Amino acid sequence: MILYLSTIILLIVISPLLLSFITQIKMFITFKKPISIFQGYRNFSKLMSKETIISEETSAVTRVAPFLILSPLLIVLFLLPPIVKGAYYVSFVDAFTITGLISLSTFFLMLLGLDSASSFGGMGSSREAFISALVEPAMILTVFSVSMMAGNLGIGQAGVNLASSFPQKHMASFLFSAISFFILLIAENGRIPVDNPQTHLEVTMIHEAMILDITGVYLAIVEMASSIKFIIFASLFASLFMPFGLQFSIPVALVIFIAKLLIICIAIALLEIGTAKLRLFKVPNLLGISIVFAFLSLITFYVLGA
Amino acid sequence: MFLFDTLSAVFTVLILLGIVPNLFYSFGYLPHIKRKTHYLIHYFGFILSMIGVVISANALVFLFFWELMSLTSWQLILTEPKDKENLFAARFYFFMTHLGFVCLLLFFLIISNGDINQSFSALKAIASHFAYPTLLFFFLIFGLLSKAGAVPLHVWLPYAHPQAPSPVSALMSGVMLKIALYGLFRFLFDILYPWPLQWGVVILIIGAISSLVGVLYALSEHDIKALLANHSIENIGIILIAFGMGMIFDTLHLPLLSAFAFIAALFHIFNHMSFKSLLFMGAGSVLHQTNTKNMEKYGGLIKTMPITAITFLIAAISISALPPSNGFLSEWMIFQSLLSSSHINIMTLKLTIPFAIFALALTGGLAIACFVKAYGITFLGLHRSTNAKHATEVNSLMKIGMILMALVVISLMLLAPIYIHYFSNTLVSLGKADVYHKIFPHGIWQMHSVGVNGGVVSPLILLIALLGITFLLIFAYKALHVKERIYKTWACGYRTSSRTQYSSTGFAGPIRRFFTWLYKPQEHLNTEKVKGHNTIFTSSHYAVHVKPLFEVSLYTSLVRLTNITSYWVYRFAHFEQRRYVAIIFNLLLMVLFSYRIFSHQFSWATFAIETVVMIITIKILVIGDKK
Repeated sequence: MILYLSTIILLIVISPLLLSFITQIKMFITFKKPISIFQGYRNFSKLMSKETIISEETSAVTRVAPFLILSPLLIVLFLLPPIVKGAYYVSFVDAFTITGLISLSTFFLMLLGLDSASSFGGMGSSREAFISALVEPAMILTVFSVSMMAGNLGIGQAGVNLASSFPQKHMASFLFSAISFFILLIAENGRIPVDNPQTHLEVTMIHEAMILDITGVYLAIVEMASSIKFIIFASLFASLFMPFGLQFSIPVALVIFIAKLLIICIAIALLEIGTAKLRLFKVPNLLGISIVFAFLSLITFYVLGA
Repeated sequence: MFLFDTLSAVFTVLILLGIVPNLFYSFGYLPHIKRKTHYLIHYFGFILSMIGVVISANALVFLFFWELMSLTSWQLILTEPKDKENLFAARFYFFMTHLGFVCLLLFFLIISNGDINQSFSALKAIASHFAYPTLLFFFLIFGLLSKAGAVPLHVWLPYAHPQAPSPVSALMSGVMLKIALYGLFRFLFDILYPWPLQWGVVILIIGAISSLVGVLYALSEHDIKALLANHSIENIGIILIAFGMGMIFDTLHLPLLSAFAFIAALFHIFNHMSFKSLLFMGAGSVLHQTNTKNMEKYGGLIKTMPITAITFLIAAISISALPPSNGFLSEWMIFQSLLSSSHINIMTLKLTIPFAIFALALTGGLAIACFVKAYGITFLGLHRSTNAKHATEVNSLMKIGMILMALVVISLMLLAPIYIHYFSNTLVSLGKADVYHKIFPHGIWQMHSVGVNGGVVSPLILLIALLGITFLLIFAYKALHVKERIYKTWACGYRTSSRTQYSSTGFAGPIRRFFTWLYKPQEHLNTEKVKGHNTIFTSSHYAVHVKPLFEVSLYTSLVRLTNITSYWVYRFAHFEQRRYVAIIFNLLLMVLFSYRIFSHQFSWATFAIETVVMIITIKILVIGDKK
C-alpha cells in the first residue's frame, strides 16, 4: 500500500518534469539555449503566488470547473498498472472507466472554455469537442485489442499479465495497437501535429484557447491537470506497450520505468521537431489512421491469431 | 383482459417514475397553455393509455390502448396549432404512427388467425406454426420501431417532439418511446421465441445506425428541442444495440451474456427515461422564459435560472455517459456485452461486432460534444438576446418537477444494484438466466461484467472518490486564502460582447464540415452591399440548413416516385377506346411472335423483322402522333 501511494506521488511529482524535458530536447535540437528541466515547477509556483482574476462574464462554472478537471485525472492515477513488483494495484477497473474519467475532465474543460464568453474559449472548446469525439472510438478499440492479448479487460491486470507473459505470437496485432495508441497519446495531449502547446496563435490553438481567460491558481490547476494527463498516457503506453522490467527489484524497476517515460518523451520531441502542425481538418485523417490500425489489430488477432 | 406480470410491473414503474415529476411540471406549465381543458383531457388520457398498453393481456386491448396513445399524443402536439409547422408535424406523426399501427394489426391478425381477442399466451402456438416467422418479425419491428423512432422510421421525431408542449415532449420522448420497446420485450420473448441469428443482427445494425444518425443530426440542430428529439433516436439506437446483442447471445446459447445484455437494455431504458425527461423539462423551462426554441438566442441563463441549469447539467453528464452517472453505468454494461463478443465462434459475426463498438464509442464522443454545445451555448457565456436577458427562474411547481426528476436520475445512479436486481428478476420470469449474483458477486461495491475476464466498475467508489477529491481540492484552495478579483480578462485584446461569443452553429462547425457528405449543408451568407459593391458590412447574416438525408432520400423520393407512377397510370388509364384495341392487338402480336420464337426456331432475321413490326405498330397505333 505504501508502495502504491508513493508511486502515485512520484507520478504527480515527475509529471511537470516530462513536459519540460520535451521542450528541453526540442530547444537543444534547434540550437536554442534549453530551459531548465524544473521550468514546470517554476511556472507552477509563480502561478500559485498570483492573485486569481475571474472574468466578469463568468458564472459559477468557472469557479468549480478547474477542480473537476483535475480530480477525475487524479483518480485515474490510482487505477494505472503497477510500475514496481509487489506494489498494490487496482486490478479490475477497465479501460472504459478510464476513458470516461478522462472525458469527464475534458467535458468540464470545454465548459470552462465556453463560460468566459470570449470567442477564443468557444473556438478552443469547439475544436476540442471535435477531436475528442473522434479519439474516443480509437481509444476503446485499441484498448479492447490489447486487453484481448493480455487476457483481461482490467487495465491494471492487463499490464501485469503482459509483463509476466508477453504474447509473442500476437506480435503483429500488438504492434498495430501500439501504433494506434501512440497516435492517441499525441492527439489527447495536444502535441504537434494535432495541437501546439506552445502557441498562442489564434488559428491553431486548441487547449490554450480554452484556458485563455483563467489565471493564478486556477491556471496552475489546469496546467497540472494537463501534465497529469500526459503522464497517464505515457505510463499507460509504458506499461501496456513496453511491458518489461516489472520483475526486477524496486530501484531497478523504477529506473527502467523512468527510462521508458523518457524514451516516450524523446520520441514525441523528435516527432514534434520533424513535423508541422496539421490543419484542423486534416487531424481526422490522423485519427482515422489510428482507428484503422485499431481495427487491423483486432482483425489480425481474430483471423490470423497473430 | 388485463395482465400484470413482472414485465408489466417493470414498465409500470418506468411510467410512474416518468409521470410523477411530470405532473408537477405540467401543472406549473399550465398557465402557459390556452386550451386547458383540451390539454388536460388528452394529457390524462395519454397517461392512462400508456399504462393500459403495458397491462393489457390480449391483442385487442393492446391495440386499443396503443391507438389511444397515438391519438391522444397526436392531439397533444396540436395543443397550440399556431402555424403550418405544427400542423405538418402533427400530420406527419399521425401518418407514421398509423403506418406502424397497420403493421402491428397485420402481425396480430396473422398470429391470431383473425381472432384477436385471444390472450397473448394462446398466440404462441399459432405463431410457431406460421411458415414465415421472419415476415412476422418484420411486421412486428416495423410497427414497434416506427413508434420508437429507430432509423429509418425516425423522421417524425425531430418534427413532432419540438412542437408538443414541453411536459408532453418529456412524456413522449421519455416514456412513450419506451412503451414501443416494451412491445419488443413482450412479443419477441413470449410469442416469437426461438430467434434465428439474423434477427438479432438486424436489430443490432438498426441500433448502430440509429445511434450514429441520431447524434449526428442532433449536433447540427440549433433548435434545442429538436436536438433533444434527435438524441432520443440515438438512445433508442443504443438500447437496440444492447437488445440485439442479447438476442445474438441467446441464439448462440450464451445465456449469461444474453441476460446481461438484456439487463443493460432495460437499465438504459430507465436511464434514458430519466435524463431525457429532465432535459426536456429543462429545455421547456428555458423556452417558457425566453419564448424561443432557437439556441442562438440563449446564453448566460445559469445566472438567472440556477435550478434549471444545475438539473440540466446533471442530465447532460448522464446522457453523455460520463462516469459515475447512471448513463455511464448502462453504457458500460452495453460495452461489456459488446466486448464479450470474443466468446462468439462465428468469425464473420466476431469481425462485425467491432464496428458496433466503433459506432457506440463514436456516438459517445459526439454526444459529449453535443451536450457541451447544448449546455454551454444555453447556460454559459453572455445572453445573446433581450429575451434571454430578462429570463427569470421558473415557478416553483416546475422547479419541483425538475428536482424530482433529477432525484430519479440520481437514484438510478446510487441505487443501481437494486434496479439491476429488479431487472434481473424480470428476466428470470421471462425464462432467462439469473445474473444478478454474477454482476454483483462481492456486494454492491463492484459491478462485474459476466464475460470471462470481463471488466469491473465500482460506481459508488468512483462517485465517492470524485466528490472527495474535488472537495479536498476546493478545501485546499479555500485554505490558501488566494486573493480573488472579478475584473475584465484579456481575451486577446478583443472586447467581449454577446456577439463575439461562439454560436451553436459555430460550435458544431468543425463536425459539420467533417461530415459534409452526410449533412449536405446549404449555407446562406448575406452581406450588405452598397450599389452592388462589397462593403465593410454593418449587418450580415449567415445561416446553415442541414438536409435530413433519410427524409430526403427515402420519404421525399418515395413521394416523387408515387407521383410519377400515378401520372403514368393516369396516362394509360385515359386512352381513347381506339388505343385499347391497339394495345390488345399489339399484345396479341407479341404473344404470337414469342410463341414462334420459343417453341419453333430462332433466327435473327425474323426476330429483327418482328421487332421492327412491333415498334411500328406500337408507334402508329398506341402512341400515335405527337400533339
